[in-house]
Amino acid sequence: MTITIALPSKGRMKDDASAIFARAGMKIVAVGNDRSYRGRVEGWDDVEIAFLSASEISREIGSGAVDFGVTGEDLVREGLADADARVEFCARLGFGHADVVVAVPEIWYDVDTMADLGDVAADFRARHGRRLAIATKYWRLTQQFFSGSHGIQLYRIVESLGATEGAPASGSADIIVDITSTGSTLKANHLKILSDGVILRSEACFVRARKAVHAEDPVVDRIIASIRAAL
Amino acid sequence: MPLINLPAFAGDLLADFERMETLRVDTPVIQPAEPFLDMAGEDLRRRIFMTQSETGESLCLRPEFTIPVCIRHIETATGTPQRYAYLGEVFRQRREGSGEFYQAGIEDLGEPDTARADARAVGDAMQVLANRLPGRRLKVTLGDQSVFEAVIAACGLPAGWQKRLIHAFGDPKQLQKLLAELADPKSAGVFGHEVERLAIMGMLEDEDRLVAYIAQTMEATGYSTNTSRSPRDIARRLKEKLELANTRLDKTTLAVMREFLTLDLPLADAPAALFGFAAKSGLKIEAALSLFDARVAALSRAGADIGLIRYRAAFGRPLDYYTGLVFEIEIEGTAAVLAGGGRFDRLLTLLGAREHIPAVGFSLWLDRIEHAVATAGGVK
Repeated sequence: MTITIALPSKGRMKDDASAIFARAGMKIVAVGNDRSYRGRVEGWDDVEIAFLSASEISREIGSGAVDFGVTGEDLVREGLADADARVEFCARLGFGHADVVVAVPEIWYDVDTMADLGDVAADFRARHGRRLAIATKYWRLTQQFFSGSHGIQLYRIVESLGATEGAPASGSADIIVDITSTGSTLKANHLKILSDGVILRSEACFVRARKAVHAEDPVVDRIIASIRAAL
Repeated sequence: MPLINLPAFAGDLLADFERMETLRVDTPVIQPAEPFLDMAGEDLRRRIFMTQSETGESLCLRPEFTIPVCIRHIETATGTPQRYAYLGEVFRQRREGSGEFYQAGIEDLGEPDTARADARAVGDAMQVLANRLPGRRLKVTLGDQSVFEAVIAACGLPAGWQKRLIHAFGDPKQLQKLLAELADPKSAGVFGHEVERLAIMGMLEDEDRLVAYIAQTMEATGYSTNTSRSPRDIARRLKEKLELANTRLDKTTLAVMREFLTLDLPLADAPAALFGFAAKSGLKIEAALSLFDARVAALSRAGADIGLIRYRAAFGRPLDYYTGLVFEIEIEGTAAVLAGGGRFDRLLTLLGAREHIPAVGFSLWLDRIEHAVATAGGVK
């Protein structure tokens, strides 16, 4: 059986992932030219590399189209319902750190916890004639965190695919759920993270699609062991 | 539209509805998604089938009938009181069972006699179920949001705490969590550094100065142009939060609230028990209780079998448009809810009605009823 591993196709993520694979004794070489979207692993004939965008990788692992992938935990948990049943997080790779957080305007002096936000949300309609609006691209994580963990139902999600931090100041949403690594962009936009508002501490992970055939393939275990040993 | 997959009893059910003096209405299967998400919250998004129009408007397949029937009522400017009946397919993503199934029900809009309308909703739901399931013993669970709200108010909590508790009604886990917080002096609210600074500047005592300061900061940071919370909103809630943090429930009050939430008894005994509870604990909740009492009396007058109904004080629905009665009907000894309903006096105004329209209704899960009819087999 050929095992397919999906890796980020560009940028820091690609370089960091390649470095770990090299340390694991799995040197990746591009097939054809440097820009090729396919690769192989030196000395591992039954392993194939597919270079994809990070969000595609989480989708392909979810559907089982690839066997392994390197991608952010946030993308996997956002992209897949019931993620832990469908994929295994084999290793946390120590790069691509980003927290998915709930951030509100700094000027909301009365709001520092999710409980405060729950109070504000419960009252919002009566005061403003509409629900509290959250700008985010993380629909699933937001719903799980607000409804599941904090019993907050009364809000609306406004989809935001970029420059989410600007939404509260521009008035297109009241608060945001977004990723941050240093917090400087939030600060520049006069937003603060709630004290219990970290939804997920994400980083790049080595992820396996849970496929029944993997149980019979010794290469699968060897790959996982090699990557873990390289960390 | 010819529907050949209707439950066999659909015709009889509609005949029942007609005898119950209702107007049968239909609503489009494809509905704007906004009102549903607005009323029920974002959590619904995962459970409905959504799509978009060519112009980008969010649409969904009708997930239930209450909101479309109410919107139709507002749009057609029909007078009240008006009793509507519906029977049709609804579409929801469910863990078990098909994503499309039939629901039927009655919405009673604008009836000024609350007790009578409530009794009629419960009685009609019991009647149509009894007609489909002769010989099966029904079990009705009844709760009352307004009695709960009256108890909370009479306990003398600050407004912020009342709101929190009322909001959690029907969510037992959340409610217990809040009661535990109220009892525990350790769990004071979290305040940021900014608030300490404001305290040192003496702004927390002077609302107008605080409002001016917030407005000025908003101006400087570019937040003044948005339509979100105003400086006054923030200042008021900050004061409310300081109050919240300083409130501890004494043991007696907490015990009273806990005792209330454990009430679970036959409806016939509930009025006396509630009046007794109020007298013993010194709570002034007569107004809510007399309405409760009037509803029980109206149910008896309407000929409903009150012996099948239990009152459970903690029974509610965590949706902010339910305002009073809530109920569910099962077959004794089974877990499937066959009918659910309640009073939603706020919904029509939220949906845009100009005047206040009281409303109560129920809906029936026809697939579950069909299943119950089938498993009844020869049982008589």
